[in-house]
Amino acid sequence: LRGTASHVWIDWRLAGGSVARQSLVRFIFLCALAFGLLVLVLSGGIGRWLSSQYAVTAVLRESVSADEAAGLARKIAGLPPVASAEYRDPADAWKEFLQAFPGLESLPGTAGNPLPGYIQIRIRRDRFDAADVEQVISVLRPLPAVAQVLSGGDSLPRLLRAARYAAVGSWTVFGAFFAAFFLLCALQEQVRVLSSSGAYRYLLDRGAPRGRIVSGRAVGSALWCLFLAAFATGAATAVLSFLLGRFSLLRAVIGPAEDLLTPSVAVAACAFILSAALLSAGASLLGWRSVGASGN
Amino acid sequence: MIEAFRLGLFSRGKILWDGLDFALDDGAVWVIVGPPASGKTLLLAVLRGERRPDAGDVLISGESLYRGRAASARAFRAACGAITERPDGDGRMTVEGLFLRSALVWGGIDRRERKERQGRLLTIVGLAGTEPLHLSSLSASERARARLAAELVRSPKFLFGDGMVSSAGLPFQEMLGALFRALAGEGNTVVLAERLLPARWASLADEGRTAGPFRIFRLSDAAAKAGSP
Repeated sequence: LRGTASHVWIDWRLAGGSVARQSLVRFIFLCALAFGLLVLVLSGGIGRWLSSQYAVTAVLRESVSADEAAGLARKIAGLPPVASAEYRDPADAWKEFLQAFPGLESLPGTAGNPLPGYIQIRIRRDRFDAADVEQVISVLRPLPAVAQVLSGGDSLPRLLRAARYAAVGSWTVFGAFFAAFFLLCALQEQVRVLSSSGAYRYLLDRGAPRGRIVSGRAVGSALWCLFLAAFATGAATAVLSFLLGRFSLLRAVIGPAEDLLTPSVAVAACAFILSAALLSAGASLLGWRSVGASGN
Repeated sequence: MIEAFRLGLFSRGKILWDGLDFALDDGAVWVIVGPPASGKTLLLAVLRGERRPDAGDVLISGESLYRGRAASARAFRAACGAITERPDGDGRMTVEGLFLRSALVWGGIDRRERKERQGRLLTIVGLAGTEPLHLSSLSASERARARLAAELVRSPKFLFGDGMVSSAGLPFQEMLGALFRALAGEGNTVVLAERLLPARWASLADEGRTAGPFRIFRLSDAAAKAGSP
């Protein structure tokens, strides 16, 4: 271990300038990757936007009083998949109707407000799937106060499928970029090893243990990339936080900046940093093969 | 002691030499002289454990270099310094870079200690103050001496030089002779391969003995010969 430790920064000692230049490219790549990761984790592809647009509507019977309806809304809000449940009384419903369809105030046969009150239920982003939506609907249907449940019917499965495909597509693109990062690292390592092959051959010719050099380089590469990835993730978090605070449209699609501090984001960021370090170590081992093929 | 036992080598489509037997005692300077293309470089590579011979073996202090324990062979190579004709891709390196690289064989030497040794060694070989210079800007003689100084930073027990004395040039033969004999006086072994025995060393060398296409001379130490350089 001591021998490996003495060779950990061997690349910096042999070709410091080259490592610095390559690190800059890696850092930029890692910043882009970290930004993409944070956006994906926060937004869930288009999941957050879809879940913010989708609502289950429980139309109440006319006989239900405002107090009863508000109490019911509070109970519904307590269901695990529910993000919010908001009661709108008949007056609000009528106002919304007229806003959506202006000019219908004097429809023949509509004396006053013909619309009942309703409860608008939004599903949590992380529970936005068919089973959880069905669970909410199955709770609402038997309630005597509820006249009808509007849940999108046949369009919901299509919507959820689209969200799933979008998520899979987004993660696939992210994975492809992560793979490209690995290829970039491997290419960089290969170029560096080839340009320093004389120096490595020199060391090997003089009895420096190949295993220690290889493992030392890999450990050094992993440690350095760990630092770069951590720094890149921090920079990406700061930039995304700034953008989310400034642009409401981004906030609606991606999520609030406060969510960047949630455990799930922290876990994803740690996994990203560790993966980048491991990939860098792997690329270092792969790059060394070019010396192995030519030397000693 | 380095012992060559029935050494044979096949290269460039022919047998270069076969059945070489000789022994190089510790604490001495040895000059292996041979004509061009006789395989001097390959012989040094074989003696250093870098190139396995096609026949025979090399024994280091009685243990086979090629058939013995890998750890022993590695330890021997770690105790070796070598100034080869091959440039080792160091053309773009600075003189200081040579020392840094040499120190890395052991995983690095303390920076202050390396700098101190570096300055001392460069002064000895007549290259004081050349640390920041690129090797490509030095003459062949300066490059050879800089490489020698860089090898010596590790205080190798065995030093191999391939065409080094002729590269260093006539004016430095005496200085190198004195340096090598001083190293030998400290118990180190110096093995040099040259086309001709350096002219200024003739008075220091024994009559030599023949081994295949080579003639192997031993330089006497400074105290043994009166009026030595």
